[in-house]
Amino acid sequence: MSIIQCTNLTKDYGNAKALSDLSFTIEENTITGLIGRNGAGKTTLLKTIAGFIKNTSGEISVLGKNPFDCLDVSANTFFADDNMAFPVELTLSELLEEISNFYPNWDVSLAKGLFEYFGLNPKQYHAGLSKGQKSTFNMIVALSSHSALTIFDEPTTGMDASVRKDFYRALLKDYIQYPRTIILSSHLLSEIEDILENILLLKNGTKVLQMPVENLKEMAIGLRGDINSINMLTNGKEIIHTEKINGNHILVVVKNDFTETALQQANVLGVEILQVSADDLCVYLTAKSQGGIDDVFNRAKLI
Amino acid sequence: MNFNTDSMKPIYIQISEWLENQILNDSIAEDEKMYSQYQLAEMYNINPATAGKGLTILLNQNILYKKRGLGMFVSPQAKELIFKKRKNETLRRLVLELITEANRLNLSEDELFQLIKSIKKEYEGE
Repeated sequence: MSIIQCTNLTKDYGNAKALSDLSFTIEENTITGLIGRNGAGKTTLLKTIAGFIKNTSGEISVLGKNPFDCLDVSANTFFADDNMAFPVELTLSELLEEISNFYPNWDVSLAKGLFEYFGLNPKQYHAGLSKGQKSTFNMIVALSSHSALTIFDEPTTGMDASVRKDFYRALLKDYIQYPRTIILSSHLLSEIEDILENILLLKNGTKVLQMPVENLKEMAIGLRGDINSINMLTNGKEIIHTEKINGNHILVVVKNDFTETALQQANVLGVEILQVSADDLCVYLTAKSQGGIDDVFNRAKLI
Repeated sequence: MNFNTDSMKPIYIQISEWLENQILNDSIAEDEKMYSQYQLAEMYNINPATAGKGLTILLNQNILYKKRGLGMFVSPQAKELIFKKRKNETLRRLVLELITEANRLNLSEDELFQLIKSIKKEYEGE
């Protein structure tokens, strides 16, 4: 069953289109990674799903209803980001107590366990926490709510490497015990790809692709070698990215529909076959322009 | 436990190979219950769907079988199937490498066969 359905979803901010004709569905009890560069529309999409902002046109359905101003959706959704506002006069332990009243599936022991594990001080106030501690507290609340739909917008902002690792492990373990729908947005795909089931890649408010992470990892390969050999091998193929290495050597990332024999032939021609990480592939697929950062410097030299 | 994430092999393939090894070294005997996708997900810190994909490979190759409501179990002929599969795969890969190198050296097919025959003779003569 799909829990989120969007059809031609569009959101305008004045003249700027944050989301443009976006259509996709998200199945119940899956973990989806929302990936895209700065300004791709990730936060706008998540806030639209959570019902915080109203779409300009198109259709959106969350748990069977339009989420905007909808109490039903709101009661079953948790949206966590680093702008969460909590009452300033309550301590962390009082906050946990109060928040638990809003969520019928609240997991007291998980909240307590995580709170102690991460060494938060119950008598402290939210405003007094460091950036990383705020993110940690928000994560504890979001996980413990056991909401049918839990949305994390850049959840690891400010967390150190070890807390981030613990967070993803906690998320996965709790998801296995209490399957529910989770959406995570992040810049660091390499950090989250193992715990994801699906990936939704955005560029300029539109969908680039949506597929299982494992398929994405097998989608493309890199070929590195002599320009003539590579042109011959990639003739008629869908080229995703080209990079000049030096002289006649280039690296081409191409859609992988090669047969084993074709790859063997590449080997004979002295062309190296490389695996393309999901992270790199997403960067290539959402490149703003042809070429890379090197071209900026090469151009500067010419001037 | 950690998998080599730089490896060319997708994680679900690595999972299925690890399970095959568990069967080969008798860690899991025939007709014994296989790990569930959730156990594997927790062991390897991966999404249960990815772990499930690794199990499905073995199910489709009859190395595992399903008992309704109980999960997956190791087939009685599992070891035999794994041996057979690996023989085919390994030999095929070696032959491919051989052909690649022969082509690089402009060796004709006849010359290649001659070479194989003479080496086989030498080996068996010893």
